[in-house]
Amino acid sequence: MVRFKSRYLLCELCVSDQSSLQLLDDRAVFTGVRGAVCRAHGDYGAALCSVSFAVKYLNADTGVVFLRCRKSHYRILWSALPFITHLENRGQKVPCAFNCLYVGGTIRTCQKFLIRYNIQQLHRMLPHCHNEAERLEVRRAVLNCSLKSLEKEEEEDE
Amino acid sequence: MAVFVDLNISHTVDKKRLQNIIETAAHLGYSTVAINHVVDLQQKKQEIGKPKCVSELFDQFPIVQGKSRPIKVLNRLTLVVSEASHFRPTNEFKSYDVVAVFPKTEKLFHAACMSFDVDIICIAVTEKQPFYFKRPPVNGAIDRGVFFEISYVPAIKDSTMRRYTISNSLSLMETCKGKNVIVSSGAEKPLELRGPYDIANLGLLFGLSEGDAKAAVSTNCRAVLLHGETRKTALGIIHTMKKIEPTAERREEEEAPVLKRARTEAV
Repeated sequence: MVRFKSRYLLCELCVSDQSSLQLLDDRAVFTGVRGAVCRAHGDYGAALCSVSFAVKYLNADTGVVFLRCRKSHYRILWSALPFITHLENRGQKVPCAFNCLYVGGTIRTCQKFLIRYNIQQLHRMLPHCHNEAERLEVRRAVLNCSLKSLEKEEEEDE
Repeated sequence: MAVFVDLNISHTVDKKRLQNIIETAAHLGYSTVAINHVVDLQQKKQEIGKPKCVSELFDQFPIVQGKSRPIKVLNRLTLVVSEASHFRPTNEFKSYDVVAVFPKTEKLFHAACMSFDVDIICIAVTEKQPFYFKRPPVNGAIDRGVFFEISYVPAIKDSTMRRYTISNSLSLMETCKGKNVIVSSGAEKPLELRGPYDIANLGLLFGLSEGDAKAAVSTNCRAVLLHGETRKTALGIIHTMKKIEPTAERREEEEAPVLKRARTEAV
């Protein structure tokens, strides 16, 4: 059995104000990206990209987005992403920028990368803790959360 | 993983914003950034001032994404020239790490490619290129190791600018075939910066091949920095520094003519 090959773009939404990420949802990202492809590559590019294009995952807290696209045309989608300056949801504009972190063939590889990336972020941010109490707080929070429930959801998704 | 460089971050008086941009650049994975000071020589009484010391900007420079080193900040000077007589290499150039020139006419473009002592030649991205890129000056620039710069922020901001940027860069690629091109930002706000891999992919729109596009944000920029370093030194071999002790000043004076002689011989 031959499957349709896809590419998953793991992107990070850069915003100046973290709380504005809460305003976004899947649909806002979907229409925003589709509009950008349309502006950058015209009707033809938009048509190529719209085959199996989907926003697979959006984390409103960290601003991580998974975009799916067919393998043959993912570069068209990717080259349109830098031109996004803001996303719109229910009439509210959220100025933001897409930063592509990883391009993978399956969600699984993207997830592996994301875990590694997040650990890296934690190491980057830990030195910013002002005192020992804060550091302990972070450690407790990390130990408290478990991936078990999340993994179950991911498996269902796949 | 390659070392990514962004050689064009607009200088603003607003220190807070500049810090913000540099922090964002570090977060996106740029190892080196250059703060761009633009001087338009057409306007009168434009002085090429000495750049501010970059170490004043931060107490502690932000750590680069994926590396354990702090970000490196350099100074860059861009001269906008519209008449040949305006371009005069002065001593102030030496205080900048990189010197760029933005020629307005074809004659100046030719001169910039063939004779000016600069590292970067900027390509117009906000208007239609008023002249064609001819093969001989472009080849001359490639031989001398001078690089052409395309900045992408105007393309992000506006649709018409995007058309100009892409058409101008395509016409440049016709002549230089993707060699000696760097892509830089020209960002004034932190949200205008894009990640290096995104830019490498954006290079495909500008007519670069995959390898050239990646080189445009990494290895070519490194070559620019090294080219800029040779201006401060004698052909990159001898480097003289001023010592802080007053007794060392006399020796410094003796050394200076040697440096000059070495340069003139080489030229």
